[in-house]
Formats: sequence, C-alpha cells, structure tokens
Amino acid sequence: MMLLAKFALGMASTMAVAGAYTFHEGLVHVDEYQSGGTHLHLWAPAAMVPIAVRFVPRHQLQAAGENLKPVLPAMRKLAKELRKYPNSDFIEVVDGKDYVRIHTHDGKLQIDVQEPGQTVHVACPLSTLEDMSGELESILPGA
Amino acid sequence: MFDGNRKYLKVTFLGVAGLLMAGAVVFGLPNPQQGSSSAKSDQWLHVRVVNSDDRGQTVKINVPLELAENVLPAINKEQLHNGKLKIEQAHMNDVDLHALMSAVRNAKDGQYVTVTGGDQDVRVSKQGDRLMVHVEDKNKDKNNGKHGDKAKSSEVEIKIPMRVIDALLSAGKDELDVVAGLHALAAQGDTELVSVKSEDSTVRIWLDSKNGGE
Repeated sequence: MMLLAKFALGMASTMAVAGAYTFHEGLVHVDEYQSGGTHLHLWAPAAMVPIAVRFVPRHQLQAAGENLKPVLPAMRKLAKELRKYPNSDFIEVVDGKDYVRIHTHDGKLQIDVQEPGQTVHVACPLSTLEDMSGELESILPGA
Repeated sequence: MFDGNRKYLKVTFLGVAGLLMAGAVVFGLPNPQQGSSSAKSDQWLHVRVVNSDDRGQTVKINVPLELAENVLPAINKEQLHNGKLKIEQAHMNDVDLHALMSAVRNAKDGQYVTVTGGDQDVRVSKQGDRLMVHVEDKNKDKNNGKHGDKAKSSEVEIKIPMRVIDALLSAGKDELDVVAGLHALAAQGDTELVSVKSEDSTVRIWLDSKNGGE
C-alpha cells in the first residue's frame, strides 16, 4: 500500500508540474463565427506552440517562412516591446458595422474583427509571439 | 489496516495538494509587474480621425514612442533602413533642406511664407521653438456658402518643434533620422502636432503620457 501511495504521489506530482508548465504561458485562443453557421474555436497551450514548430517538416517551414523572413526581426522586437504594455489599446477602427480592435490584455495580444456575418477573435500571449519569431529566425537561414 | 491505509492516502492527498499549489505559485500566477496597466509613464503618439458621414468612421491609433523608437530600426524595407528614411533627391527639387532649416532656426520669430490663392491660403511661420504651417482650403461652391460667399471647407494646422526637425535632419543630406526625430519628440512633453478640421471630418495627431488618449 505504501508503494502504491508513493507511486500515486510521484505520478500526481509529475502531472501537476507538467500541467503547470504547459499552461504557464497561457492559451492561444482563436474564435471565428460566420453567418453560414461555421464556428471555429481553437484553444491551445501557448507553451506548446514553439515546440510544435520543431515538428513541422523543415522544407515546408522554409517555404512558408520565405515571406515572413524580412519581417521576423521586427516581429520579435515588436512582441518584446509590447510586453511592456500588457493592458493597452493600440488601434481601433469603426466603419459603419465593421469594427477592428488591436490591443493587449493581461499580457496577450488580442485582435478583434467584426463585420456583418463574420466575427474573429484572436488572442495570443506576447511571450509566445516573441518565442515563435525567435524560433523561426533560428530555423530560417538568413532571417 | 484501514487506519494505516487512510493515513497513507491522507499524506498522498496533502502532498499532491501542496505540489499543485506550489506549481500554481511558480508557474501559474500572473507576474504582478505584467498586470500593471503601463510599464512607464512615457509618451504616446495619438492619432484620431473622425468622419461625420453616414458610416461614422472613426480611427484611433495609440503608439508608445519608446516602442516605435525600438522597433523602427528592425524594419528594413524600401526607403526605411535602421530607422532612417532615404529621401530621393528627385523629390526634393534641388532644395537643400539643411541650409533652409538652418536659416529658419537662426531667424527671428515671424511669418515667412504667405501664399494667398483662389482656393488655398498657406502660411508658414516660426513661433518660439516651433515651425507652424497653416493651410486653409476654401470652397467656392455656391451650395456650401450663402449667396455664393467663400465657405471654409478645411483647415490644416501643423506645429513641429524645431528640435524635432533638427533631429530628423541629423542623419545626413539624403536621409531623415526618424528614430532621432521620435526621441526628440518624446522630450517635448504633451503637445499637439497636427490638426485638420473640415466640414465632415477631423484629424488630430498629438502627444501625451496617457495610454488611452483623448
């Protein structure tokens, strides 16, 4: 019984630490609603994103990254600087029924877009954006 | 037997609860510094565009100057490199900007340029440490004015601190040092830079230490 209790304690503590690590950077959150009835909800642990990038086939990442290469240093710098402003409004555009807002909330970059028939909300931790752009820079030659 | 098992289970549960709490404290709780509303009391550049047409278009842009200063050097595209903007000589019409600004800087306060035309009045003046540009667009449309009078259709006012102009021109002959310009702007304190008023829209560009503007 003692052995079982020790095993349970070991398993539970490993899961607790792994769980806490997985969610320590928060969640990447994407919501999309379309008037046709399409709804997309995506919640992913932010800490997993840079790790997941490592599993993408190198040639596909390089092909996709060619367009990103010139903006990666600026993107990483921007994410780093935005972390100094964890709760701020940067851009808000209202045009009739169209609405766009880019802001930070609790250390996450949030983009809200609304137009008739479509609503998109994207939230991504700034630390993940910085890690991601750094990761892509290290993978893409010459970035 | 059961008492012993209960004791072990109790210890196990207490251990797990302790670990969960420790994990939450170490990894889960937000950093108190991150939760603050603004990192520094630095200057923000604000842009407001309000259209009073049917769509009621409004644009609000708030940019921390420090962020712009730090990010701009990382953008290298077309004419912008390392925070400096290349000016094509072809667009300058052989005007020596440095010599022109040097002359203005050393001159006394006053109105330097006045152009009064049929459709537009332009005034350029120096007041203290600021270069002021005032443009008034006139509308001759009879529908806009009573008895065919000239009705004012828009008014543009630009106030640029001389130090900002000096900083912008500090890069060299064919370049504008945008980062140096922003740095000089940040030292100015709260100030209005551009104001455009017309019948159906207003534009304001100003600088203050408020993160939300207005």
